[in-house]
Parts: sequence; structure tokens; C-alpha cells
Amino acid sequence: MGWEETQVRGYEEFVRTAQRYHGRPIFALFCGDKDAEGRSWCPDCVTAEPVVRKELQNLPDGSVFIYCLVGDRTYWKDPNNEFRRNLKLTGVPTLLKYGTPQKLVEEECFKAELVRMLFTED
Amino acid sequence: GTSWGVGGTCVNVGCIPKKLMHQAALLGTALKDAQHYGWNITQPIHHTWSVMAQGVQNYVKSLNWGHRVQLQDKKVKYFNVKGSFSDPHTVRGLTKAGKETIVTADSIVIATGGRPKYPTHIAGALEHGITSDDLFWLKESPGKTLLYCVYMELFFSISLTGASPDVSLECAGFLTGIGLDTTVMMRSTPLRGFDQAQMASLVTEHMESYGTKFLKRCFPTKVEKLESNRLEVTWKNTDLGTEETDSFDTVMWAVGRAPDTKTLNLETVGVKTNSETGKIIVDASEATSVPHIYAIGDITEGRPELTPTAIAAGKLLAHRLFGQSSELMDYDNVPTTVFTPLEYGCVGLSEEAAVQCHGSDNIEVFHAYYKPLEFTVAERDATQCYMKMVCLRERGQRILGLHFIGPNAGEVIQGFALGIKCGATYPQLMKTVGIHPTCAEEVTKLHITKRSGLDATVTGC
Repeated sequence: MGWEETQVRGYEEFVRTAQRYHGRPIFALFCGDKDAEGRSWCPDCVTAEPVVRKELQNLPDGSVFIYCLVGDRTYWKDPNNEFRRNLKLTGVPTLLKYGTPQKLVEEECFKAELVRMLFTED
Repeated sequence: GTSWGVGGTCVNVGCIPKKLMHQAALLGTALKDAQHYGWNITQPIHHTWSVMAQGVQNYVKSLNWGHRVQLQDKKVKYFNVKGSFSDPHTVRGLTKAGKETIVTADSIVIATGGRPKYPTHIAGALEHGITSDDLFWLKESPGKTLLYCVYMELFFSISLTGASPDVSLECAGFLTGIGLDTTVMMRSTPLRGFDQAQMASLVTEHMESYGTKFLKRCFPTKVEKLESNRLEVTWKNTDLGTEETDSFDTVMWAVGRAPDTKTLNLETVGVKTNSETGKIIVDASEATSVPHIYAIGDITEGRPELTPTAIAAGKLLAHRLFGQSSELMDYDNVPTTVFTPLEYGCVGLSEEAAVQCHGSDNIEVFHAYYKPLEFTVAERDATQCYMKMVCLRERGQRILGLHFIGPNAGEVIQGFALGIKCGATYPQLMKTVGIHPTCAEEVTKLHITKRSGLDATVTGC
């Protein structure tokens, strides 16, 4: 069955999408918005994305990988944005297993073994 | 039964969830006090177990994950397997699915801890009762609860049976605090140890006055499940010689903890254990009877069953094995606290141990009954707020032990533990100025001795 990826932008689209896949293991990578050339304003996100993508092959069968652009830099810096308030995100990039306390934040996302551990361990 | 992630007893089914639930109960009491301080709180206030449990359980799981990330980050190989010795340098592990892993090593450290015991002579105990392992992970409220422990003594840390009345009192304390009908049944109250009995009875008196029911000198004979799914417990009241029954939603056993050494295959490799407790015998360097095999934590004989001592012993062991250190773990004057509704913290010798060690003529016990300032406006009873300090009468009047019953006992005792470690004396303490207004300052003002027989109630300010 493998795994599938879906891309979303903004908090509401993220929540709707997560609800749609309720019941399946959901992993999400949150990054800053990308410009017309496809580069994120968040340099750590630029570093982390290829590392995470390389490990996607280790996702358990039936998983969903949500790639979520959170918004522009100003939106992100607001301490009250919905991602910070409701999902308790503290930084981007954040890679998490939805519905569990398991997550990797910022430089942790650069480490392939940690990403693999998040994808494969219970 | 219940299973959990990386972090040991403390993180999963001990200190962490226990302290958080104790805090939940304290907040309930604080809400009641708040009215006296001007807050408009609609009474009666209600507590929802599942909200608290979810918060606590999620936090514990985040700690499990944090530990896992740290291990991986420090390049520590983690095998999630059930291990046993195949020979002195080889451990065989089995995954849940039955897959085998073999690991060999020059040095091996055993730190498998202990698990709560189930009573063996009570019908239905295993099938219908739970232990603290399960209590913290219940998704729904335990409801009307009976907790059973064998002894009622606090901190008899080198006890033979490893009985853990602390657990039953702490759990009963927070269950009562969140509004549940809670009963503690205990088989015997100790005849030995005047002072631990004194501290224990102050703590339990306070619990009684706040609604915990105590059935003293009683022991259960059977537990049966009723059609309603409730549990009917039958017990013998040894004072009255009668048999009594009552029904509960939950029965929790707190009859001690024992190490799970049977499955480790220790005999095969020659690691000696204490025949009565099953705990591993170690020397001052944490080595077992097999020189390259070590043991730390709750599984070791004669050590306190505490997190910080296990962690410290492990760190020092690592330094000795790989860091050219020769420093051994110092198990003297380890401070500790029982997180009952009114907390009991202590460091150093109990009054009884001091008497045994030095003779009652050579020690002086200073004590005081005090009232926390915060209790005054809240109109709370402070009858059991008490402290005592055991000192030598000669040799500079060195402080041997300090015992404190009151709010935030752990926070109060921690600082004094340093003083005792440095050999602080009564005259030095008297020269230490107190912080006002606090409960801790009363320690610096202790001056009434038990020997004088004078009233030890603090007056003034």
C-alpha cells in the first residue's frame, strides 16, 4: 500500500487535511513559505527538506505525509499564530507524528537517523 | 498489564505522574482557599480525571520521546528487547515479535528496577486489583478506591520487604484531593521506631482530617467482582475480630516492590542476589559478585529506591569505568520527600536511628509545631505542620537529621541537605538568618527540645 504525500498551505487547510486522514498514521513537516523561485524564507527548512524527503521511503505502510507551508515570515513570528497556539509548534522546520508528542524541531530535522527513528519507531 | 516507554519507573509510573497528580489535588485545595482570598469561585468544584490523565500521560510520552532522541543523538544503540544472560559477557534479547538479538560486552550494568508486588494470599487479588503501575495510566476515573498496604511506616528505606506505604499514602492523598471516595487499609501499624511512627501519624492524621478513610489493623481476605462490575472486598478487622465487606470501583495493591530478577538468568552467570528480597548484592563500587557485571538503582540490595541516587551512581560508575575516576557513590544523608497532601521531607538520620547509633543521652531533638502564613487567611488547620532536628549533644552539636512536615517540604529540605553534607552544627544554624515570612525559616529558629517537655508551638509574628 505504501505511503502518500499531500501538500497544504496554512493552518485551516492543515487541520482539514489531517481530519480527512483520521485513523492513518500522519507525519507532517512544517516549513516557511516558498518564493517564486521555490526557496523558503526559512534557511533551516531549506536544509531539512531534502534530509526528510530522503527518509520518506521508511514511512510505514498506509502513512500520510503532509507537507505544510505555514505562511510568510511575519505571520510565523507572531507569537499567537494558530500553529504556535493550537499545535504548540515552537519553530520551523518541525517534523512531527500527528497526535503524539513525537517531534523533531529545527536542527534535529537535519539528522537522518533521528528522522528515520521518528518514521519507524513506535 | 500496563506498558510504557524509555525512562524507567520514575518517568512512567513513579515520581513524575505521581507529583503531577499530587499537584492536581493541591490545586483543588488551593481553589477552595482562594475564596478566602477574594476569588469568586462557584462551589462545588468538580474534577475530570480524563483531562488530568491525558495531560499527565502526554507529558510522560514526551519525556519517553526526549530520552529516545537523546540516546540516538549521543550514538547510544538502543535495543527494545527483553534481555537475559546467556553467559557472563553475553545478553540475549527477544523483541515482542520473538526476534532474537545477541549482544556481547566487556562490562554490563543491570538497571531493570522493580515492579509492584501482588499479594499472594488474597483470592482475586491478581484478577481484580491494580497497582500504581496501572493507576497513572487509567483513562477513566478509578472512582471509589481501596488502597491496601502492609505497614504504615515512612522511609524505612533499608526495609526488608521493600514495602512502599509511601505509594499508597501519596496515591490515596491525591485521589482524595480530586474528590474521590478513598480508603487506605493497612495490616499493621509499627511498634518499633517511635519517630517514624510520629511522622507517619502526623501525615495520616492530616489525610484523615481531609477526608481519606483509614482502616487500621485490617487485611483483605478476598476480592470478588459483582454483577455491577464493582469489586466486593472482604476483610478481617484484627482489633474487633470481625469480618467486614464493602464494594469499590478500584482496588489498588501497595504491598511493596520487588525486582524482576527471575527472568534475567542471573544464577547462570553467578550474580548473587539476596534470597529474601531478590535484589542484587553489590559492593561500594556497584559491582556484583561477578567483577565486570554491575547493578544500579532499585534492583540493588540495601540502596534507597530513589531516582537521583540511581542516576548519580550510574554517572559515577561511568566515570570510574571510562574516565579515570575513583570516586564512589555516597549514600549518606540522601534527602527525600513523600508527596502526601501535607508533604514530609527529611535528610539524615531519623530520631530512632540517631538513638540507636549514639544513645539517647548523646542526642538532642529540637522540634516545633508551626503555622504556614498562607493557612491563616484560608482558615486551614495546621495541627500537623511540624518539624524536628536531631543533633549531637557534644562534638559541636553536629546536625544528624532534619524532618519537616508542611507545604513544599521537598523545596525546604533540599537546601538544608547541603548544610548537613558539610557537617553543619546547631550553633551554625542558629547564626543563619531566616527568610521571612516562610515555613523554612522556622528551621533556623528551632530551640525547644523534646527533652524539656515544653510546649513546642511556635508563637509570634
